[in-house]
Amino acid sequence: MFFHIVLERNMQLHPRHFGRDLRDKLVAKLMKDVEGTCSGRHGFIVAITGIENVGKGLIRDGTGFVTFPVKYQCVVFRPFKGEILEAVVTMVNKMGFFAEAGPVQIFVSNHLIPDDMEFQSGDMPNYTTSDGSVKIQKESEVRLKIIGTRVDATEIFCIGTIKDDFLGVISDPGSTS
Amino acid sequence: MDSAAESLSLMRAMSLADSPVHSSSSDDFAAFLDADLDTISDASADSEEVAVEEESILKRVKRRKLELPDGVINPESSSSQGEPKEDLGESSPKKNTCPHPGVYAGMCMRCGQKMDDESGVAFGYIHKNLRLANDEVVRLRDKDLKNLLRDRKLYLVLDLDHTLLNSSRLADITVEEGYLNGQRDALPDNLKSSLFKLNWMQMMTKLRPFVHAFLKEASNLFEMYIYTMGERPYALEMAKLLDPGDIYFNSRIIAQGDCTQRHQKGLDVVLGQESAVVILDDTEAVWGKHKENLILMERYHFFASSCKHFGFNCKSLSELKSDESETEGALATVLKILQRIHSLFFDEGREDDLEDRDVRQVLKTVRKEVLKDCKVVFSRVLPTNFPAEHHTLWKMAEQLGATCSIELDPSVTHVVSTNAGTDKSRWAVQEKKHLVHPRWIEASNYMWRKQPEENFPVSQPKNK
Repeated sequence: MFFHIVLERNMQLHPRHFGRDLRDKLVAKLMKDVEGTCSGRHGFIVAITGIENVGKGLIRDGTGFVTFPVKYQCVVFRPFKGEILEAVVTMVNKMGFFAEAGPVQIFVSNHLIPDDMEFQSGDMPNYTTSDGSVKIQKESEVRLKIIGTRVDATEIFCIGTIKDDFLGVISDPGSTS
Repeated sequence: MDSAAESLSLMRAMSLADSPVHSSSSDDFAAFLDADLDTISDASADSEEVAVEEESILKRVKRRKLELPDGVINPESSSSQGEPKEDLGESSPKKNTCPHPGVYAGMCMRCGQKMDDESGVAFGYIHKNLRLANDEVVRLRDKDLKNLLRDRKLYLVLDLDHTLLNSSRLADITVEEGYLNGQRDALPDNLKSSLFKLNWMQMMTKLRPFVHAFLKEASNLFEMYIYTMGERPYALEMAKLLDPGDIYFNSRIIAQGDCTQRHQKGLDVVLGQESAVVILDDTEAVWGKHKENLILMERYHFFASSCKHFGFNCKSLSELKSDESETEGALATVLKILQRIHSLFFDEGREDDLEDRDVRQVLKTVRKEVLKDCKVVFSRVLPTNFPAEHHTLWKMAEQLGATCSIELDPSVTHVVSTNAGTDKSRWAVQEKKHLVHPRWIEASNYMWRKQPEENFPVSQPKNK
């Protein structure tokens, strides 16, 4: 799920940047440091939408660096248990398939794939129903439900299922759905 | 109506999130959401299990009514009868009865419960956070075997170094091999497509002749794995060279880090039944527990560093500017053997079920045909204070179908010796029996065919 929240961060700035463009440089550094990272509690920080407030800078003892506390608004993405997501399949093998929803990697094991879908190995390994009408292969889009998340310092892993109602393939790669 | 009230409070919390004024409590918010959503999903699971909440009962009843007639038509959900049970089974009840078939990133693959134990086998080569419980591995192996046998395929595990290719560090390239460093256009034809320089790894690799044709043919008969004692980045690079289309190996590349035992390769990380796996490797020692599945390959020494590593003092193929024969080399020979084993395994004429057949038996049978009808006596080859039957050559000869003996008698056909001056050797020449060097047995083992005895003469001793 996406959230628009305010986060705070202490940014350290080297004295060479002091001058007219101090604030711009600070914002640029913030963007470079923070966009694309992941934290356990907030999830992936997708984009910074605005700077709310830059506090007074504090000169650190011993070095000339100055620390500014910056409050910024950003869009974060964090998967939750029970959430329904759309994801793109990246790898299919006999144990299930891996799918990606943005920066999150989701594993759907074959226990949580409907029983009437069988694994077919070959050039393009896939899961297919017995009548061939539904196929899950690499680059397919699927709608899945998250049943567990595990948060690392820098990554989020999820277990998903497509065994519920309305879950499963949305579109086949290269065909009109 | 607990769940309803909770969902309402959650919605309120989400709208709070939008307004910047309240969001200084961003930390609190995230924790709040966490706690909330976790309890909600638990609560709803409990309620479904306990069936107290009216909403859930209604939902379930509705679903049941929908499922029974529709189950057949809708391919998305599982088959009709199973549906209501599976719905309930998504969360809590499964937690109690879930067999936890495997763990991905610390969570059970089936119920999502956090699991931190180290039981089962790690399958890091498929995905770095994947572990499977032993029961699950057995189940998957059985299921996969059925599928594979239906497609008339077996499993083939391939080693990399000295079997399919030969690699050398750039630092070890000798002066005489210097021409290999030159421009690609200047290289002889056979090297243009099989010699690769990997600067970022400081290595040079030469693919064994016939390897592409071998892989193409073998992929029709086998599901193939790469299993190397090299490190993962090396294994992946080599797989790219051997399989640029990523069709042969897919995610079946096992490297040193995936072995469960140090310095030993094992079939425990291969998702295939042992009775259907054939292994191609140049080293026997690493396959301690699976020697019966192994086809020993003659080592491929292209680079000088490889020859030196194994203690050979001769010039390497690269220094001699030559190469193994494409059509008569080890890979071509082994391909024919594999095709033979495959057709024997899937022979229509056999009475037993496919699932009961064992490829190890087929290997033994094919091997026993090589030196069938030979009776071999060893002279000056086996150490005297050592039980003869345990010697490698003796065992090799017996595996190849020969009968071995210590004493001479009229039925002996071959005398294997390193010295033509011994009593037994002279007896052989006298009685017009074959007198051969021990390498005749080894060559027959590698080539899977009885070698011409004339090619393995025994040298005369200096003083007769």
